[in-house]
Amino acid sequence: MLYYLLMALSSLLSIPAIYLAVEERDLVKAVIFSAVQSTLYAFLYYLLMAPDIFLTYIPVGVGLYTALILILIKKTERYESD
Amino acid sequence: MSSTLRNIVVIVTLTLMVVGLAVVLTVGGFGFSLPPHNVRALATIFLNTTLNLDANYRYVSAMSPEAVTAIVWDYRGLDTLFETSVMFIAIVGALAISRGATEKLLKTSPPVLGMSLITKTITRITIVMILAVGASIALHGHLTPGGGFQGGATIAVVPMLLIIIFSIYLFSKMITIYKAVTLRSVGLIGIALSSFIVLIIAALYGGSAYIFQNQPKLHSHYGLPSYAEPILLGGTLLFFNVFETLAVAFGFAALFILFTIPEDAVKSAIMGEE
Repeated sequence: MLYYLLMALSSLLSIPAIYLAVEERDLVKAVIFSAVQSTLYAFLYYLLMAPDIFLTYIPVGVGLYTALILILIKKTERYESD
Repeated sequence: MSSTLRNIVVIVTLTLMVVGLAVVLTVGGFGFSLPPHNVRALATIFLNTTLNLDANYRYVSAMSPEAVTAIVWDYRGLDTLFETSVMFIAIVGALAISRGATEKLLKTSPPVLGMSLITKTITRITIVMILAVGASIALHGHLTPGGGFQGGATIAVVPMLLIIIFSIYLFSKMITIYKAVTLRSVGLIGIALSSFIVLIIAALYGGSAYIFQNQPKLHSHYGLPSYAEPILLGGTLLFFNVFETLAVAFGFAALFILFTIPEDAVKSAIMGEE
């Protein structure tokens, strides 16, 4: 029962993170929201008993992807214009 | 102020929609349930054939306790080989565009390098831990969750930390992009050789085998040992995991070097001397 509650909680918490990542004009903040969503999804995969996906999701979704996008933002523009 | 209010309204609406959809799906309101009940039959097949010491299953079983690694490198090995090659070809393309840029980088060196002493010291400690965790994920890939890609992606965090905290100038003195791509090619050649190893053994004994064969099959009784008394070896899976780790870790390292080369170095390398 606790597993199901945690699953529901992490999937519901990921909804605002996704929405804010799409909506945010400051791209650095958007990347951080995206990393929060990745962390929640990683927990979700762990609770769904898919530890292999969990082990891929943590370094790729939270570490490598975030760092790569931050490097690219540094090379281009930080704020999205209208 | 009004944009904050709008955000809250949208988030609440989205959350309510997801909760409603979940409730309707759970009680079967659409006339079907997710996941469908017959998906269990597929799981039963994999659980029966992944590690089965029974004589009836000897020529069907993959003889590895880790179902995911067995599926990735045994049941659908050719798929995984092409997945790895796609990333390799992408890196070759990126390398072809920015060729000559790293040599320019090594000639220049700014006076201040990297972040503060505190971050550098902490990074020196954590790098060892990350390497140990990555190696354990990769080398135990045929026994516990994990495998070549997972271990390689974990190890790839190390070059990223080194580049960001100790600067690209110091890192490209340690590992040049050509060294990284060479080691990645070694990994890919190792994967290719591991897929033929049982065929080579069979050819030496005058028999025949399949490509990507791991354990003995019905019409070809050749295979790598899967079980040396106290430990499970997993046949070719261990080789695949080791070489895939090499390929993924150095592939990501090459990508990070490419992405962090300063723009003017790349530009002058592409445009040529003026």
